[in-house]
Amino acid sequence: MTPPALVNGTSMNGASAGRITFDNVSRFYGEVLGVNRVTLSIPSGITSLVGPNGSGKTTLMNMMAGLVRPTRGEIRVLDIPPTDPHRLCRAVGYATQFDSFPKGLTGFEFVTAFLRLFGYDNARCEALANASIARVRMGEAAHRKVAGYSKGMRQRIKLALAIAHDPPVLVLDEPLNGLDPLVRSETIALFREFASQGRHVIVSSHVLHEVDQISDQVILLSNGYVVAEGQIQGVRGEIQDQPMQVFIRSTRPALLAARLFELNHVVEARLAPDASAVLIKTKDADGFYRALNQLALGGIDIEGVMPADDNVNSVYEYLIGGGEAAR
Amino acid sequence: MNTSTWTQLSAVMRLELRKTFFTRRGWWIYILAFAPALLYLIHSIDSVRNHEQRQALAAANPVALYAIKQIQVGDTIEDVEKQLGPPYFHLTFKRREFEVRVYRYTNGDSDFAFNFFNGKVTRIDEEDRCNLQKDSAIFATTFQFFYLRLAVFFGCVGIFTNLFRGEMLDKSLHFYLLAPMRREVLLAGKYLAGLAAAVVIFTFGTALQIAALSWHFDKGVVPAYMHGTGWTDIASYLGITALACVGYGGIFLAAGLLFKNPIVPAAVVLLWEAANIFLPAALKKISVIFYLQSLCPLVASPDKDMSPFLRLLLSSAEPAAPWVAIGGLLAVTALVLTIAGLRSRKLEINYGTE
Repeated sequence: MTPPALVNGTSMNGASAGRITFDNVSRFYGEVLGVNRVTLSIPSGITSLVGPNGSGKTTLMNMMAGLVRPTRGEIRVLDIPPTDPHRLCRAVGYATQFDSFPKGLTGFEFVTAFLRLFGYDNARCEALANASIARVRMGEAAHRKVAGYSKGMRQRIKLALAIAHDPPVLVLDEPLNGLDPLVRSETIALFREFASQGRHVIVSSHVLHEVDQISDQVILLSNGYVVAEGQIQGVRGEIQDQPMQVFIRSTRPALLAARLFELNHVVEARLAPDASAVLIKTKDADGFYRALNQLALGGIDIEGVMPADDNVNSVYEYLIGGGEAAR
Repeated sequence: MNTSTWTQLSAVMRLELRKTFFTRRGWWIYILAFAPALLYLIHSIDSVRNHEQRQALAAANPVALYAIKQIQVGDTIEDVEKQLGPPYFHLTFKRREFEVRVYRYTNGDSDFAFNFFNGKVTRIDEEDRCNLQKDSAIFATTFQFFYLRLAVFFGCVGIFTNLFRGEMLDKSLHFYLLAPMRREVLLAGKYLAGLAAAVVIFTFGTALQIAALSWHFDKGVVPAYMHGTGWTDIASYLGITALACVGYGGIFLAAGLLFKNPIVPAAVVLLWEAANIFLPAALKKISVIFYLQSLCPLVASPDKDMSPFLRLLLSSAEPAAPWVAIGGLLAVTALVLTIAGLRSRKLEINYGTE
């Protein structure tokens, strides 16, 4: 699925249907900035919010779910304003990062108890709870007390509650924290399934390589501001001041490195330790690929070409800094 | 209200009742509610034991009440011994210049202590057997000055401020706010659950106190009382306890919603309620306790040992008519809950600043 690109800074009128839109939204906690002047239009698919602690990810998510209201600006989730919580809460399923539960409940009781708040009758609550618990593969532990769950199980039971009422928008704050590798991949598959059904899956994460794997688009946040957004390759292409890195496998890497280094826009050519490839840094990606074609036609055997820095980690480092990316 | 709203209301109540009744944080509320009943039970046991002892002593040292009543201050030891015979207990304290003696007699019901100074009666202390009238007065005073003002008051602080503020501290309030439910329904559900818990705990406490206090009376005393005003009095005390939960519950639910630290408004309300007996008549009426006391079957008089200065500060106000008292309390509660309901619409989840 190729999701439409995010639209930043454009008028929201008419374009907001089926999207989550933030129009010049700011939120302050007293004198502390939560987020400032955020304008976004998020299409369906998996969107990752990436940023260090305090960058505003949770504030954005809380605002989408109606738990927090903007100080300024306007938010609409599938054209529903947060001032209409009755409709908003049916449209949004939110698994927060808060690792707290009402005491004394089993996983199944937890999900059914809060589904009753939707006004469903007991039979429907139980059917929905059973279905969502099965989807997150918590069936066996469903009748054990939540207090005895591991971190990963608590994450999954929160996810079960968030998806139980079948919302078109899923907002998940650090949903992969505490999950073991198997469950993590199952959960990611679940996100993909939701996204493939045309739903919005908004995920926040610190784990950049995961974001890279699962996201259709990313929103990079720093200190309450959106510093970049869109499909990750597009975002990388916009960063002109950092040379593009390309990894090329060849049978004659030394010759290839020497030829490419003759080009004005190539600022670095480095052989891989096993001498089977070369890493090129160039300031003109288009010019570089044209030159590479010429070299290939001229007889240098090229086995593979791979962008080396159009991932979230690199983009994050370029935009926000290496120290922050390490979080 | 449609079916869905009822379902939501009952869902909130189910969750809250479970928490309110079984929270570990709330153990002290049970102590507040049931400790007076335990004290009354001890009093009853002590009263029965005393009575049995006096009966045994009276059998061994028989003395008629009429004879005891003949003794006057100024009578000599010889007069007393001649009239009543040897005491069942005596105590002598001698010094070179004076002698103090205490003689005790009992007719099986009351106990009399004759205090002698240099051989003459200077004081006669009579300790009656507990009777319904006396115990009713003790109960009325304890109920009004301890149970309503402190036990129910602090119990309601504990139960009702916790309904919102406790969940903020536990970081679990967001589960409610993520449901498509009007905030007023959430508030009503929490209030009703808190009220149900408070009413059950404290009216049960009141009922236990009455039972504990009355079981030691002779056969026939309690049925006779029940035949008279007993049931009405008991119903009044239970109703007043429930009304106290209604009034204080509303105030403290709102306090938990409006203030980050609800202990501060609770302390202000406590001071105001405690100072009620010293307030001018007009100001007395702006309090929960005034209306509750107006409904009590017995008016508890201030301590007779109270200092004259404090007595000077006391003022009296005509008790409110029952319909004014009940209507006033319910109206104030409705007003406070309406304000809380309006505030709840703006409630946000901001655990970080809690």
